Parts: sequence; C-alpha cells; structure tokens
Amino acid sequence: MGRRYPLLSYLILLVAFFFPNRLLFADNLSCLICHESLKGTYVTAKGVESRLHVNGEKFAASVHGDLECTNCHLGYEDNPHSSVEENVDPELLGIAKAIAKKSPVDPVAQAACAQCHPDVYEDVKQSVHGANIFDKKEVDGALCLDCHGSPHEIMHVAGAGHDASASPVAYGRVVETCGQCHEKKSVSLKYGFSTKIIERYNESFHGKKYHLGGSNLPVCTTCHGAHNIRAQNDPEAMVYGVNKIELCGQCHAGANAKFVAAITHKPIGKDNPIPYYAEKGLILLTFLVISGCAIHIVLDIFALVRQTAQVRKRRRNEVARNESSVAG
Amino acid sequence: MKSHAMSLPSQVDALPREVQRFDMHFRIQHIIMLTTFLLLFFTGWALKFSEVETSQAWIRFWGGPKTAGIIHRVAGIVMLLDGVYHVAYLVYRFAKGKLRFDLVPVWKDVVDFYQNVLYFLGASEEKPKFRKFNYLQKFDYWAVFWGVFVIGTSGLALAFPTKAALLFPAWTTNWIWELIYIMHSDEALLAIVFILFWHFYNEHLRPEVFPMSWVWITGKMSVSDLREHHPAEFERLFPEAAEKGAAGDESAGSM
Repeated sequence: MGRRYPLLSYLILLVAFFFPNRLLFADNLSCLICHESLKGTYVTAKGVESRLHVNGEKFAASVHGDLECTNCHLGYEDNPHSSVEENVDPELLGIAKAIAKKSPVDPVAQAACAQCHPDVYEDVKQSVHGANIFDKKEVDGALCLDCHGSPHEIMHVAGAGHDASASPVAYGRVVETCGQCHEKKSVSLKYGFSTKIIERYNESFHGKKYHLGGSNLPVCTTCHGAHNIRAQNDPEAMVYGVNKIELCGQCHAGANAKFVAAITHKPIGKDNPIPYYAEKGLILLTFLVISGCAIHIVLDIFALVRQTAQVRKRRRNEVARNESSVAG
Repeated sequence: MKSHAMSLPSQVDALPREVQRFDMHFRIQHIIMLTTFLLLFFTGWALKFSEVETSQAWIRFWGGPKTAGIIHRVAGIVMLLDGVYHVAYLVYRFAKGKLRFDLVPVWKDVVDFYQNVLYFLGASEEKPKFRKFNYLQKFDYWAVFWGVFVIGTSGLALAFPTKAALLFPAWTTNWIWELIYIMHSDEALLAIVFILFWHFYNEHLRPEVFPMSWVWITGKMSVSDLREHHPAEFERLFPEAAEKGAAGDESAGSM
C-alpha cells in the first residue's frame, strides 16, 4: 500500500496523526497504515526488542486474515498503545504472565491464541514443550509461533506436498522446523536427547525417502505428535513402550517389540560396537579391494604399454634390417 | 563350467576356430544378473545419497521414491532367484558328472598372481599360464557370490522388516538393524565400485577386448584368444597342437 500509493498513504497518515479517532483505529487498515511502512525494531519499556513491520498482504492471505489486530493485541485499542493488560481477561493474563519470560515481546498477544484454540492450549500446556515453560519456567520449548512462524503470516497446514513456501509445520517443512531446536547441540545436551536426531532421521529409510520427495513417509510429528508431544520417557508418549508398537503398526502391520527397536535416532557410536566396527571393517574392506584393483590395473596398463613399445621396436628393427640388406 | 570335450584334433590345422566357454544357462544367468544389478544400482544409489540434490530428479526419473522402491525390491528378488538358479544348475551338472571345478581357487592362482606381478614389473618375460579361468576372473566370480549373500540377506530383512523381526533373537535388537543397514548400504557401494573398476576394465577396456568381450553373448572364445590368455586350458584341450606350437613359432596369437 505504502509503496503503491505514497501520496495517499502520506495523507492518511497525516489525517490519522492529527485526528485520532477510536473508530478509525479499530480497523486493521489504521494499524497497517503505520505498521506496513515501519521497518526495524524498537525497544519496549521492559527492554525487549520488538519488530515493527507487518506485511498486510501476507496477513490478509493468512488463516487469520479476517481477524482484527486487536483480537490478539488486546489492550491496544487506543493510540498510542498505552493500556496494555487493562481490559484483558484475567485468565488470559495469567497465561501471559506464565509465558512472559519465553515470549516477552507481547505475551498477551501470544496468550491470545488460547482464546480460540483452547484444546490446543491444553495439549501444549501438558506437552514436554509446554511443561518446560509453564512448570519449569524455562525459556526453551516451543510455543505457537516457534513452529507456526510469524504470527501475522500463519498458513494452513493442509496439503502434504514439499512446497518450500508452505507453513513451517506443513509436511514438507516440519523436519526442518523441528531441527531449528533439535539440531542445536546445547539444547540436546541440556535435555539429554541425542545430538544427532535430525541427522539420524535423514539417514534412515524414512528420512531418505522423505527428502527424495516421498509423501507417505513419517515425519517428526507423525510419530511424536504435535501439540501433545511428550518426552520419550513419559508413559503418555506415542513412542513410549507398547505405544510405539501400536504406532509403528499403523504402517507396518505385524510390528512387534523387536521390530520397533529399529528406530532410535541414536548415532552409531562405540557404545554399540557391532555396527560401529562392522562399518569400519566394511570401509576398510572397500578401501583395500578398490586400491588393490586400482594398483593391479595400473600395473597391467604399464605392462601393456611396455609390451606394445617392445613389439614396435622389434618391428622397426626388422624393417631397418630388411632395408640395410636390400641396400647391401 | 565344463568346456565341451571334443575329440582331439590330430593336426594343428584341424583346430576349431572357437571353443564353448559358457553354455546357454550361464549366459542367461549373466544377463539376469547384469540387468538386475544395474536396476538395483540405479535405484539404490539415489537412496544412499539422498542428501545430494540431483538424487531427487534422478528418483523422479524412476517414478518417484515409491516406484523406485518397488523396482529395487523386485530386481533384488529376481537377482536372488538368479542366484538360486545358478546354484541349482551347478548341482544339476554335478549330479550329471559334468561339473568341472574350474572356478575353485587353487594354489596355482597365488603362483599365477606372483608371476603376473613379476611380469608387470618387467622382472620376468614370462606371463603366467592361466587355466580356463585366471585369478582375476575367479575373484570377479566369488565377489558376486559374497555380494549377493551379504546384500541379498540384508536386503530381504530390510524389504520384509516385520517378518525379519520374528526371526531375530531379542538380545540382538540393539544392533541388528544398524548392522543390516550398514551391510546393505556399504557392501552395495563396494560391489558397484568394484564392478565399475574391475569388471569394466577387464572385460571392456583392455585392448584385446575393447569395446567389449563378446563371450557373454556368444558363449564362445576364439582358439587364438584361448591360446594367448588361457594357455593351460588350451594345452588341456589340444595337447598335440600345444606341443607343436611350443616347438614352432612363439609369437602365435600375440597382439
């Protein structure tokens, strides 16, 4: 808008600046007049850096395009944005306080998701991600925006393709999205899970076929769940004990305990000596066989060249001898 | 395995032009092996190196990951059946008393290898006198046996994992799947590189066969090639001619 109609934008801005009007500001347009053109960040009174830009087109195209800014940004109903927390439902404010450390920019707006998605909120709160934030007061663990992306650009998850521009939690992108945290060594070490989860998934047959463009392969959320994700040692987890047998059995009919042991995401280290040394042994065998073959081939070529040279030399000598005998 | 025993010619001039090397069964087995090998190679390579960008396009060429997977499994089973066919045919020939153990490694192979290295290095003028199959060809043959066993058994377990899980003892589950995966993947890489190096060099690129040895199609080898490259076998088949040849021109059959 700002780019297309600079003069118009300027005029509206001018009017908006001199004639603040509640009615006008209740409208998304009035927020976007400024926030479309604003770039960069500002630091709030609490010392948190906040991004100012909102892409109106992307917002309109998002699943929440029909909502008003103030549906989530509660308490921002006048200008300048002053009365935060005043008119907000106390329950929501409670959530906001609980997640303020994790989501400091606008905890109320983050908590506002729970207004329309109460079931998801309950799931997340009890999940390993949510519990870490709500109960253990940590800042690690995913909340809505960590997985769904920018709050103003949340997209539908439907469609199991490999579209790179799809929602970060769509089928084709979710592994990459989980990897944002689960590939971090610091996070892995702090919470005691394998540091090579994503790498090992990518090396598995599931991961390989997924990355080759398959659409019927399990991704992280297929086996671990999404909002209701639990720690692997939580009896409620989809991958815990007998739950895992049932889970794998959904695709692999007849799965048993010995079968489901195949997927662990653990790296092959010295603590698992048989596959570890088998791999080393096979690499050594390959190296020996191939270098042996290569040396043999090089020697063979050397002998062939020498043999050819000898034959030529003999022939040349014969020709020379014949010529000299003719001349003589 | 067995060269056909023909009545020995009384004169060198009466030598046949060619000798039978592989009968129809062996040639069919080789064609099945070669076809399934290439299919398995082409579809498996992209899976092994799925993180390489071109793998996606390559797998699309083979009909996507699902179709490529089906091709891979079918080709694998056909290759295993080919192996069964081969062994069954050997047993049949053995029962008929027609099996010669030409491909069994013997001490002479070690001596031949040593002699060949000396010849390569120019330390000896004399080439080793190979029998029907030289040590290179024996290595080629047994490498396939080993490869089909290692890759075939692990491949069956990977293709039918829930069935394979019934066979494994419980105490193996912490490592058996990783082991099977490594066996299949790394051994396959070895097989492919080995074939590309060894088999291609020996049967396609060497000057006397370039661009290709035709024996896999015709099943026959010319007697002059036999005399040049498998002199011990030539002597066994044509002792009189060999004697006469040894007394006469040494350069017979040279390149």
